[in-house]
Amino acid sequence: MACHSPYRAAPHMNAPPDQGFLWNIFQRVDKDRSGVISDSELQQALSNGTWTPFNPVTVRSIVSMFDRENKGGVNFNEFAGVWKYITDWQNIFRTYDRDNSGFIDRNELKQALTGFGYRLSDQFYITLIEKFDRQRKGQVAFDDFIQCCIVLQRLTDVFRRYDTDQDGWIQVSYEQYLSMVFNVV
Amino acid sequence: MAFSGYGAGPGGAPQQDPLFGYFSAIAGQDGHISADELQRCLTQAGITGSYQPFNLETCRLMINMLDRDMSCTMGFQEFKELWQVLNGWRGTFVSYDRDGSGTIEGQELEHAITSMGYHLSPQAKNCIMKRYSTNGRIRFDDFVSCCVRLRALTDQFRRRDTTQTGNASFHYDDFIQVTMSI
Repeated sequence: MACHSPYRAAPHMNAPPDQGFLWNIFQRVDKDRSGVISDSELQQALSNGTWTPFNPVTVRSIVSMFDRENKGGVNFNEFAGVWKYITDWQNIFRTYDRDNSGFIDRNELKQALTGFGYRLSDQFYITLIEKFDRQRKGQVAFDDFIQCCIVLQRLTDVFRRYDTDQDGWIQVSYEQYLSMVFNVV
Repeated sequence: MAFSGYGAGPGGAPQQDPLFGYFSAIAGQDGHISADELQRCLTQAGITGSYQPFNLETCRLMINMLDRDMSCTMGFQEFKELWQVLNGWRGTFVSYDRDGSGTIEGQELEHAITSMGYHLSPQAKNCIMKRYSTNGRIRFDDFVSCCVRLRALTDQFRRRDTTQTGNASFHYDDFIQVTMSI
């Protein structure tokens, strides 16, 4: 019997932005005026709070999330989704970056993920930071924070597919297990 | 940072292992190496057979694999263990690299995995092949990354297969932590 759902909650929602406003942004980001924002155009438009480029893996993940036509970029309609997604993440990041350092340290990460519903050991947060912190500061910047959450979400999704009775437990064969994991990490 | 404090006089050195030379030159005073340092160590020791630097993410994975005290670093004994394992994998890799290009093909990766004793379904093998190949070819450090993960995942799975039937149960919290740390 499932009491408390082990799965993470969706990020906080915002009101949709004005179309004209969004169109202005789109045009500025779509530098070559192709009508489609590519990975590299999006990467250039995003900031992770440092002077280093936004994590390209995160950019790829975000674009592929919203690119419905597998064209390797997003058009204006799809861009609305991208914009909202990033704004939601900015709000979450700001909420948990309590000391306003522009980075989320281990404690703040723990609060964020616990807030999303994950129950992870303290030691594990050391592993997470080590795995996702590309700036090598022992803390995660905005882009790496998103990347961490995306991977956690993918693992949750794949777990859920096997957890048909929703009790937080799965039973899998060795091969299923390998396929599940190699698809995500 | 090079540490020169170890006794290295002729005929009196406590550690004459040539590996120790590579290791201590990089490990420094604390006798431990991080992922970046492991990358340098392996690249200098020439394990890939080329001058290309060893993939940093793979180095992180290897440290993780042997990291018992969760320090994200590796001591000399663990490095020795790793070196032996790596040499084994290198032997397998080289035997499949028939054209000596420093890469193997997707199909060869599947054969290599089977030859190491992993019996996987075609889908699982396909998954792995897609994950590790770039333009249908796999480099040595990607091959190592694959082997490290296979070994670690198999370990984790075995620990939970209490009835030894090839089936294991995972709780969600456990699943997340196990897969993310690999």
